[in-house]
Amino acid sequence: MLAVDGLEVAYGDLQVVWGVSFEVPENSIVAILGSNGAGKTTTLTSLIGLIPPLAGEVTFKGASLVGMPTHRLVELGIVMIPEERSTFSTMSVSDNLELGAYTPRARASKDETMDEVYSLFPVLAERRTQRAGTLSGGERQMLAIGKALMARPELLILDEPSLGLAPIVVERTFEAITDIRDRGVSVLMVEQHVEMTLEVADHAYILELGRIVADGTSSQLADDPRVREAYLSL
Amino acid sequence: MTQLILQSAVSGLLVGGMYGLVALGLALAFGVLKVLNVAHGELLMLGGYASFFAFTLWGIDPFLSLPLVFIALFLFGVFLYQILFRYVTRFEIDNRIKNSLLISFGLVIVLQALAVRFFTADERTISTSYSSDAFTIGLVRIPVVRLAGFVVAVIAAVALEWLLNRTRFGRAVRATAEDWTRAALTGVDVKWVYMIAFGISAGLAGIAGSMISFGYAVSPSIGLGWTLKALVVVVLAGLGSMRGILLAGMFLGLTEALAAVWVGGAYREVVALVVFLIVMSFRPEGFFGRARA
Repeated sequence: MLAVDGLEVAYGDLQVVWGVSFEVPENSIVAILGSNGAGKTTTLTSLIGLIPPLAGEVTFKGASLVGMPTHRLVELGIVMIPEERSTFSTMSVSDNLELGAYTPRARASKDETMDEVYSLFPVLAERRTQRAGTLSGGERQMLAIGKALMARPELLILDEPSLGLAPIVVERTFEAITDIRDRGVSVLMVEQHVEMTLEVADHAYILELGRIVADGTSSQLADDPRVREAYLSL
Repeated sequence: MTQLILQSAVSGLLVGGMYGLVALGLALAFGVLKVLNVAHGELLMLGGYASFFAFTLWGIDPFLSLPLVFIALFLFGVFLYQILFRYVTRFEIDNRIKNSLLISFGLVIVLQALAVRFFTADERTISTSYSSDAFTIGLVRIPVVRLAGFVVAVIAAVALEWLLNRTRFGRAVRATAEDWTRAALTGVDVKWVYMIAFGISAGLAGIAGSMISFGYAVSPSIGLGWTLKALVVVVLAGLGSMRGILLAGMFLGLTEALAAVWVGGAYREVVALVVFLIVMSFRPEGFFGRARA
């Protein structure tokens, strides 16, 4: 569905992503794992069109995404939730969800999707009229996911969904991610929580200093001695 | 004395409505694009002339030309965005303010010079058959055209608030104002929102100019004075509420008028600015702004 081939990204003179290639097949959860500064966020930011890549190709269902403005990707069904979430703190919960269905493709089924989101996260229905800025970290995360679902994504991209959340909330978030995959949405996620991520992901890539150093199915990686030593501290 | 105070207060509130109207457009451009357009007053001046010439050359009543002036200035705003401010919005937020200041100061000089060249430096006022009409309530005399300007300001504030809070486009504008990256990730075409918001900002300046050339006067150099008033009003109100901006405008107008009565006409602006500083030291986020977290 999504294919990234030889992606190179730099901030000014400082190159941080060196020839990264990976694929997200339909109906699967793919994870990119790595420590801080490995270039995970940069990779996502570039493929979503916020930083133009130096080189490389990104295709979605065969069509190139390079040079396409970010809002056009949302219209194609590629929705990203950035690390700091993408909710608007000055707006109410329902306005945030409403805005999630901004694109024409999402607007048609807006009301049904909103019902779905409220049944997936009942707490959002309770907080409907509350400003997003007053929500707890976990609720904000649910709103961010709910808002992304409002766009009727075919590919959902999450940057460190576990960041800053209590363990119990992280668990619920990962459950929601599996649930979303089972509804037919592909998921690309970037994480530092290697162990938990390998439990939900179908396939994972390990990124170190801007290069992919290992990849495989989650069970392959979980058994790989190098991965176990470096990331699972087993 | 009571009569003088009441009369001044009412005149102050009416002119304050114009301060608010001018500030609406300035706040929209600043809030959404993070562009500080000090040439906002020059756009107002052009709107004033548009309305003046529509009346003197073709006899179009200023109320009828109001939508036309809005559309003309909207298009001019879109044009300015495309040739100038579009490049400013590529910078990070902090640099946008500095760069937009430099560019719009240049624009002030160019537009003023062009206005002197083509419209002469004379002060002009639209005088219709009803321009000097007024009615009296109790001790206070209210000029019809100034009241009309005030009503237009109220309508503009309510309409803008409705647009921002109740429409899909408005939600996109508010999203862009809060965080343009997140707005883009939500599917909003941020550049398009910038362009339309700047156009509306210029259109509002045009409407303000139109009512000012009607109830007050227009000349090539009026712009900067109105821009400065509007800046004070925006800071006083804080960003976020259009109604709040209108109220802050009225507050400034009222303060100036009462200062003129009690302290003396020469000090009206000084007193108003001192009051402004006092308000800012107690509520730096403005009357209606939200404190930064």
